[in-house]
Amino acid sequence: MIRFHRAMLAALAGLFLWAPMAAAQAAPDARRAEAELISERAGVLPGETIFVALKMTLDPGWHVYWRNAGDAGLPPELILDEGSNIPEEALGEFMWPLPKLLPVVEGEIMDYGYDDEAVFVLPLTVPETASGQVRINAVADYLICESICIPETADVSLVLTVGEPIENVASGEIIGEWIAKVPGPFEGEARISDAAAPWTLSVAKADGFPEGARVRFFPSNHEISHPADQPQRYGPDGVSLSLTPDRSGKVGETLDGIIRVDAPGAEPVGYEIRAARGDVLAGTAETALAEPVGAEAAVLGWRGLLGLAGLAFIGGVILNLMPCVLPVLSMKAIGMVSAAASGHANELKSHGLWYTAGVLVSFAALGFAILAVRQATGFATLGFQLQHAPTVAVLALIMFGVGLWLMGFFELGTSIQNTGSGLASRNGATGAFFTGVLAAVVGAPCVGPFLGAALGAVMGQPAVAVIAVFLAMGFGMALPFLILSFVPGLQRVLPKPGKWMDTLKQAFAFPMFLTAAWLLSVLADLAGAGAVGWALVGATALGFAVWVARGGGNVRRGLAIAALAVGFGLPAVQANVPPGAVTGEAAVPSYAEGAWSPAQVDALLAEGRPVFVDFTASWCASCQVNKLTTLNTAKVKSAFEAADVAFLVADFTRKDPAIAEELKRRGRAGVPMYLWYPAGSREPQVLPELLNQELVIGLVEGR
Amino acid sequence: MQITRRHLSLAAGMTAAVALTAGALIASTAQAAPATGAQAPAFTGLTSGGDTISLADFAGKTVVLEWTNDGCPFVKKHYATPPSNMQTLQKTAAADDIVWISVISSAEGEQGYADGARADELTASRGAAPAHVVLDAEGTIGKLYGAKTTPHMYIITPEGELVYDGAIDSKPSAKVDDIAKATNYVTAALGDLEAGRAVATPTSKPYGCAVKYK
Repeated sequence: MIRFHRAMLAALAGLFLWAPMAAAQAAPDARRAEAELISERAGVLPGETIFVALKMTLDPGWHVYWRNAGDAGLPPELILDEGSNIPEEALGEFMWPLPKLLPVVEGEIMDYGYDDEAVFVLPLTVPETASGQVRINAVADYLICESICIPETADVSLVLTVGEPIENVASGEIIGEWIAKVPGPFEGEARISDAAAPWTLSVAKADGFPEGARVRFFPSNHEISHPADQPQRYGPDGVSLSLTPDRSGKVGETLDGIIRVDAPGAEPVGYEIRAARGDVLAGTAETALAEPVGAEAAVLGWRGLLGLAGLAFIGGVILNLMPCVLPVLSMKAIGMVSAAASGHANELKSHGLWYTAGVLVSFAALGFAILAVRQATGFATLGFQLQHAPTVAVLALIMFGVGLWLMGFFELGTSIQNTGSGLASRNGATGAFFTGVLAAVVGAPCVGPFLGAALGAVMGQPAVAVIAVFLAMGFGMALPFLILSFVPGLQRVLPKPGKWMDTLKQAFAFPMFLTAAWLLSVLADLAGAGAVGWALVGATALGFAVWVARGGGNVRRGLAIAALAVGFGLPAVQANVPPGAVTGEAAVPSYAEGAWSPAQVDALLAEGRPVFVDFTASWCASCQVNKLTTLNTAKVKSAFEAADVAFLVADFTRKDPAIAEELKRRGRAGVPMYLWYPAGSREPQVLPELLNQELVIGLVEGR
Repeated sequence: MQITRRHLSLAAGMTAAVALTAGALIASTAQAAPATGAQAPAFTGLTSGGDTISLADFAGKTVVLEWTNDGCPFVKKHYATPPSNMQTLQKTAAADDIVWISVISSAEGEQGYADGARADELTASRGAAPAHVVLDAEGTIGKLYGAKTTPHMYIITPEGELVYDGAIDSKPSAKVDDIAKATNYVTAALGDLEAGRAVATPTSKPYGCAVKYK
């Protein structure tokens, strides 16, 4: 918000300054900054070194620059002028205080510098021969920019008496305060790994960095792209930043610059670093802090979170079209048609709200579940719900049950033609709420592969952010229905109720059965063929429960409930086999070189072969899509063969700590993840979650 | 396992369309600025005279691109008379059959923005001699080339290779006096091309005002 206000101020200032600008430039007293020379001492001794400073007070919205101004701009200079009685070498170099990011054009132009006030301290060595007075007459030459840039010069001067040391307390305090803002030496180690783009800068120090600290690297030169984000990862020993090289950027002997550390509730701190070339330092890159990082961390974070929530929201809207969700929603819509037709249109609003509440509660629950897993294991992977065999078995049975209901084998409460009156009844609100819950539950298998990017990015974030993203997704899912409930005109557009509703309802049963079949195949991979057999027994028990309950009466009802319990309970128990007990063959492409392990990668790289690693799982839909569209195509296969690429598969269908560790190391929350090691490189490129042939072939052929 | 696979592809088929949509939303589009030694990106732009020109129109000729903003003090420095640094470069280029294109990427309302009439008026009043002034208020060409500052200079060979990307000279300042003390990278690169040598300094750090993009 501060940033926003500043921008407003700047815009206002711009408006008022624009007209008189031409005139102002000519008049020397209309400068955008006040510049003066100050000294910690009024009286000095010959031969001693004291601190003086160029103190600049800037008009609101205007900037001056750091020693490396970034993409545009120039640093200020102090040039000795006639009338001084000291030699040029008596004045030392500026001690540059910690700069901040000055974004000029988002993603295009980034500057480094200061606003409001900047004090550039420099040492003054009083000549041995000095007597009487030391006179400094100098010109402060600086470029000052707001939306436009103006080079300004200011004559500054300072007179000190030689003879006895006399303090200038007020100036001394200012100088001391600004010396404290100069980045100090870094007591730790810094490395730059530049084998492949993006580069990784890792910094480690004995006491680590404060929790939640955002780190930004400001280069001394122009090796990196200044406006690019610097995605951050951290570990117990330090932080690593992903740096985008400038188009002609190369690291010389070392990569020099400063890092700015913004920790919550603390003044920013800077360190001078000189990063030697080498591998990423251990203990600096374990957990992702994937949002853009910078001096304005809080603001960027807020924006980043909004972006993620936006993505999640869109994902939620699209969820309505998923084969597992669409049928449930259609039933709800059909109910709505009936309600509108039978004169209960007024109830719709409250039911829309109840439905939304049901969805939101379910998504919040899923969010909390993921947080709990993260709390327990230190890391949560996406789609973890599909790694737990009992959960998969129960989900498959729910799909089957919903399919039976859609087929009309049994009715929940009322028949579909009477849903209108059902809505009007007191149970309507509860019903609407649980329809929301049901929609979210049946949506669960589809959620995982969906939100890879948004969820991966948010995984390293505080709990509030995770929940916010899940709620955004839930709201997206509930929104179409909510709109339908609230806009009366829309309901009139809905077709008239009739026989077609039953036909449609029954037709929707088939996607549910297919989803159940898919879940069974996942179950087979997780817990073996036996578990699938038990799941089918469970399905039979469900069928029996439906059949026996038809007659009515307490005995039959009791039997049905028992059958239901057995139907869901038994397969879940049977599916609960220890991991590793199953030796199911993973679905690997035919040209697969073998199973992934870090040692295998090292061995292949040592042979000088390029390596492609496919982190996949049979429950991951995106992985299957990538296989269909890219990895299993003849073009890609022949490109792999031609380039002698070693293709490794890391199968995450069942939990595997080594794979989880690798995902975490690369800042991913789950599969798919694709790593590409060009021949001779140690650091892989992490490819996008959705592959295409052009991308993969281009990489393999080194284009 | 055969059955399992078939089911897998069924499931994949069902989710493919939706996942593709989501992926398209999520996938980030990375756009890389050109590097020297590579083919210069093709562009089409509207000139101050209202003509549409493309880089391809000048195949067979050396092309110089100059990003400019007449309000920027760094541009003013190079157009100051004397020594008329930029104007002299433009006239020498024209004499050598080199196509000099000045590009104005300032957005409407920003410093340096010009319509055709104003651009022509600026050329006349400053005694400038570019072959064309391209009006790029949307910043399309500027962002395509990754132009950061005014001035920011690019040189493209008759074969379409980008051979220079950077500052006009070696002294980043807004002071006219510094022109004489600096090495002019554009002159040097054009000299290298003329002599059939590789360009000795193919890149440098451009200096000046930030381009006033939209």
